[in-house]
Amino acid sequence: MTVAKESSAVTNTRMPWFNISQAMPWIMAIGFLLVLPVMFASGSALTIMNQMAITIIFALSYNMLLGQGGMLSFGHAVYMGLGGFFCVHLMNMVEYDNLWLPLPFLPVFGGLFGLIFAILIGSFSTGRAGTVFAMISLGVGELIAASSIIVVAFFGGEEGISGDRTMGPSTFGLDFASQLEVYYLTAVWLVISALAMFLFSLTPIGRIANAVRDNAERAEFLGYSQRHVRFISFCASGFFAGIAGGLFAINFEILTEENLNLATSGSILLITFLGGVGFFIGPIIGAIVFTLLQTVLSLYTEIWQLYVGTLFLLTVMFFPYGLTGLIAMHIRPYKLGKISMLYQSYLRMSVPAIVCILSLFSLLEITFHARHAAIGEEQMRLFWISFNSHSILPWLVVIALALGSGWMVKSLAPDIKEAWDEANYVGPGK
Amino acid sequence: MSPAAIELRNVKKNFGLAEIIRGVDLSLAKGERHAIIGPNGAGKSTLFNLITGKWGVSAGSVKVHGESVENQKPYAINRRGLSRSFQITNIFPKMTVFENIRCGLLWTMGYKYSFWTLVNRQPKLTERTNEILEQINMSSKRNEIAGVLTYAEQRALEIGITIAGGADIIMLDEPTAGMSHSETDYMVELIRGVTENKTLVMVEHDMGVVFDLADKISVLVYGKIIASDTPENVRADVKVQEAYLGTAADAEY
Repeated sequence: MTVAKESSAVTNTRMPWFNISQAMPWIMAIGFLLVLPVMFASGSALTIMNQMAITIIFALSYNMLLGQGGMLSFGHAVYMGLGGFFCVHLMNMVEYDNLWLPLPFLPVFGGLFGLIFAILIGSFSTGRAGTVFAMISLGVGELIAASSIIVVAFFGGEEGISGDRTMGPSTFGLDFASQLEVYYLTAVWLVISALAMFLFSLTPIGRIANAVRDNAERAEFLGYSQRHVRFISFCASGFFAGIAGGLFAINFEILTEENLNLATSGSILLITFLGGVGFFIGPIIGAIVFTLLQTVLSLYTEIWQLYVGTLFLLTVMFFPYGLTGLIAMHIRPYKLGKISMLYQSYLRMSVPAIVCILSLFSLLEITFHARHAAIGEEQMRLFWISFNSHSILPWLVVIALALGSGWMVKSLAPDIKEAWDEANYVGPGK
Repeated sequence: MSPAAIELRNVKKNFGLAEIIRGVDLSLAKGERHAIIGPNGAGKSTLFNLITGKWGVSAGSVKVHGESVENQKPYAINRRGLSRSFQITNIFPKMTVFENIRCGLLWTMGYKYSFWTLVNRQPKLTERTNEILEQINMSSKRNEIAGVLTYAEQRALEIGITIAGGADIIMLDEPTAGMSHSETDYMVELIRGVTENKTLVMVEHDMGVVFDLADKISVLVYGKIIASDTPENVRADVKVQEAYLGTAADAEY
């Protein structure tokens, strides 16, 4: 049994405390975070990046439930929102009541507040997974969102509650008045939280959370209470969501009902799924793509949500492992050294595919303009071309383009499939 | 004298009006290899589920190592040193073979709900997992996803998960169901090896396996044990021949 010998030899050498190949992705990510604001220095870019970082932490915390623990929550915004509200109150106490609390430590308290609520709610919601858990999370989410309008003293009613982050004691000579300072603060918390969540997945409880997700009954017969396992994951997830809430409070200095409601809970589910629930990096990719679509696409079109929704639907239908799953599919051909076989057919497909997507996009835009533009305003600009959305010609052009490119995509599809099968085939080429 | 490994006193279980287990008394000494046989629908699996805490009993008492466990949760009973396998393959299909076994070890090696240790930095845990893998001859499959293994391999893996935690009472529910002759022979040897010096309770339909492995056999018919004795005596028992072996065994072979 040579294999057995090999494997026991591996175990006898102790793992070093620091492993450069394991640490490399993290070092690269930190380097990337450091140079990002140099590459994109404008105020709006910084705002987008901050929002991205916060969404990443939130999505990662959500994936502790969905991807790792198998708990589908429809109310995760509650923990981020409550952490955020608590942090705004703390900021106001710093400003008015001389509470000594340097701003960089504020997110910890957001996290603790998220944790307290996760303990309270998790104590009864984690008894069952599946539909029961989902329904309780939905109910609790609605309850907290509704009470935010009622409990005005804490939630500030409809206009929410706002604060000022610059009033705290200065830390390392920083007062966090500039966006750049806030960016670096957020980035530090992003690295700490992401690393902590990654390491959590490698602990006994993290592994058993996966086991309970896969087969709760079996885990029970191995000495683990599925309820306790889910409860602990739930609390950890609430803690990190609270940290995201604290960072949100620092960045935007205002929290409203919107931070607690179902729409926010729904979008974090969408983000996580879009990125891919089966991978640690999935929610990170989902958060980046979604924030970019949300901020950049919304500059160009009013119906950006339609496109995001369509992207989500297509992902769920065709790539259930999300965008990360789509990338991961290519690891096998890459390892087989056959990735080059795919380039050609991808390249051939790309032109009609892009034309098809853009013409469908144009069709929607023209329809939207024809139906919703102010009366008398018939000229519209699309892809640097100005035309009349009420005349028949642009419609004909766009529909013809869509049909033509659609037909080409369809006729090229078997090619891609063949190339794909060939690239995944172990052994010499056929 | 030390208490019996498992002791059932007048255990009853009914689902609504249907009485499935109608008063079972059973006592298993430590180190005994005990097989429970009986026709389909006799309540063998139900009895298993009552002992291991999947379901609560309707009446009667269940003792493991002399302590009452009736109506306790499965994880609590498991922590007393009782581990089981399932009739239908019950593994963690999305995890690797190595991780499946490791899951079986975590609690008894004292990691419990720890979130301050990293599993891949525990040399003893890895070492023990590898030992179990070698014991069930699956070292070469350690990095494969459990869900893609063959049926026989999954059954062997399930035995591995069951024994990993070092429980001294092992309960196997039809470990050779659906296996070919050679696979069954292999499984019998595997079970014999991994349950050495342990108390073994198994439900089994294959009489070859039963007479091969068991020191004692109990025959369960319609929720009652009609005989509980050594294989020779059970084989000779007239009641058993009437109720079960005479007709069912012919059908089995």
